Amino acid sequence: GGAGASGGRAYSFKVVLLGEGCVGKTSLVLRYCENKFNDKHITTLQASFLTKKLNIGGKRVNLAIWDTAGQERFHALGPIYYRDSNGAILVYDITDEDSFQKVKNWVKELRKMLGNEICLCIVGNKIDLEKERHVSVQEAETYAESVGAKHYHTSAKQNKGIEELFLDLCKRMIETAQVDERAKGNGSSQQGAARRGVQIIDDEPQGQSSGGCCSSG
Amino acid sequence: MSLKSERRGIHVDQSELLCKKGCGYYGNSAWQGFCSKCWREEYQKARQRQIQEDWELAERLQREEEEAFASSQSSQGAQALTFSKFEGKKTNEKSRKVTTVKKFFSTSSRGGPKKEIQEAKAASPSINRQASLETDRVSKEFIEFLKTFHKTGQEIYKQTKSFLEVMYHKRELSIEEQSECMQDFYQNVAERLQTRGKVPPEKMEKVMDQIEKYVMTRLYKYVFCPETTDDEKKDLAVQKRIRALHWVTPQMLCVPVNEEIPEVSDMVVKAITDIIEMDSKRVPRDKLACITKCSKHIFNAIKITKNEPASADDFLPTLIYIVLKGNPPRLQSNIQYITRFCNPSRLMTGEDGYYFTNLCCAVAFIEKLDAQSLNLSQEDFDRYMSGQTSPKKQESEPWAPDACLGVRQMYKNLDLLSQLNERQERLMSQAKKLEKDLIDWTDGIAKEVQDIVEKYPLDLKPPSQPLAAIDSENVENDKLPPPLQPQVYAG
Repeated sequence: GGAGASGGRAYSFKVVLLGEGCVGKTSLVLRYCENKFNDKHITTLQASFLTKKLNIGGKRVNLAIWDTAGQERFHALGPIYYRDSNGAILVYDITDEDSFQKVKNWVKELRKMLGNEICLCIVGNKIDLEKERHVSVQEAETYAESVGAKHYHTSAKQNKGIEELFLDLCKRMIETAQVDERAKGNGSSQQGAARRGVQIIDDEPQGQSSGGCCSSG
Repeated sequence: MSLKSERRGIHVDQSELLCKKGCGYYGNSAWQGFCSKCWREEYQKARQRQIQEDWELAERLQREEEEAFASSQSSQGAQALTFSKFEGKKTNEKSRKVTTVKKFFSTSSRGGPKKEIQEAKAASPSINRQASLETDRVSKEFIEFLKTFHKTGQEIYKQTKSFLEVMYHKRELSIEEQSECMQDFYQNVAERLQTRGKVPPEKMEKVMDQIEKYVMTRLYKYVFCPETTDDEKKDLAVQKRIRALHWVTPQMLCVPVNEEIPEVSDMVVKAITDIIEMDSKRVPRDKLACITKCSKHIFNAIKITKNEPASADDFLPTLIYIVLKGNPPRLQSNIQYITRFCNPSRLMTGEDGYYFTNLCCAVAFIEKLDAQSLNLSQEDFDRYMSGQTSPKKQESEPWAPDACLGVRQMYKNLDLLSQLNERQERLMSQAKKLEKDLIDWTDGIAKEVQDIVEKYPLDLKPPSQPLAAIDSENVENDKLPPPLQPQVYAG
């Protein structure tokens, strides 16, 4: 138990991506995972499930990004998607007031279902269209703070703010996981820990021990 | 040769239809090309051989295990703690070990060897036999696989075997409790493999997969759609629901897939096949693999249609459409089974888990689907649901959305034929008109000619004076010079 995720262990985090149809969710993750925007040469077949490996201060993180269907008709399915997720990225379009209202609905739901376990990021995308802004910076940031979320501004087109967004989210998720681990380490029940929430997988290649195993038999 | 004939599909050689044994009777592919009589004989032989092999395998395993047990006595100190949970049971079991091992390798865990021989005598090639063959094959694979891990492998085998024994006694418990046992087992095994077994992390996934395969192949028939649950009722409800929604079109769901493109409709067919195939697999992981394969085909269909990577906004509606078209058997049972008995690390964050979650979403959507979710008016929705009208009639496509390719082609051809017929009729009427015009025209001309002839009747007047000679009237003839005469020049 404890915060012993330093040596040879990797965090596995599930992050859900929420947002209305045209806010640029797909562009955002494709920019992050493939560093491409509206590119005809994008090799990936799909942008609905993407993974990324990171190393943050010696801590290895496996990030799984789950895109969710943003159409209104699928709204009720949300809880099936974001069950067991460690983080949520809620994207709106700064030129579209409605998309920001949608984000507010999701935040309410997420907090209700998952409590404070989940790290929330509210993301105003398309800052390259600053002239057409319809959601004020002040309003968005105040709202984010009021619900315990962090607010970010991004442009998938100009590759602005995206790297920072994911890095920051990962750091916060690691913190939450460590707090969780400590809490579980004090208690006697460690069993449930690996089944829900964070999973800590020991995946450091240990050459010597593998050799030892095979030769001992 | 065989490849060629297979490709053509229709060509079958006469000799291929006959019994493989050459007895002269016709064979049947269901009997692997034998006639019924020869198949029964072959089957009996194979069955006997199988039983023999099972016995040998069981005996060998027992020997191996006893050796392992003896060798582990020395290092008992550390192990006693690890396996203390199973140790008590082990000593109790020692006397009936042989039967236990054999039990795991027999057709049914309930029946002893006696029952098997009786079954062989009855000689009815059934699904049961297939299942038991698969179970045996999986066992052999599992043991072969564990051999590469030597001592750890034996520990794994002991653990899984004990677990199966425990599960066998827990068959009467609720499925949730059994699922809980399974989840605990996955976790305990994984922990032990890492800490005591010193299995390197990169091999962990493979070991866990093998364990899952071995255990779940055996438990499948007890824990899949068990009678203690209402899984079956739910299956039937979903199936009925999907049938009632046969009228839903891709347009209503905004499916971003254009089936007019042949490659796309190919992908759609493949995706449907994959999702239907899921039911035939026994191991949760194999079922997940079917869902993943189905999803990849959907992504391909979207990619070809839209020429950009699919987002969840594209993927989910298409998956719903595929489920509606395919109406996969025992959908709820499969979902429940995977949820209860799959290795949780796979479902939590992995790619397979993502597609599985989407399938759950698709089923939830189908169950709750209403007029609003298809952008229809309540009246239209009710009329379609009651079967009073069908939205297809308003569109140009008369075939059902779930019609197979052949039927579609037929409808297309019928459509083409009726168009041709129409053109033909138009052509015929035009031709008739032309004919009539021509007749009218000749009649008209004839009449006109008649009129003219009547108006200017032809009367021949007799010549005023007889003609003497051709040149008689030519008075200037006299003025012409005389004709030239031939002359001779002396010289």
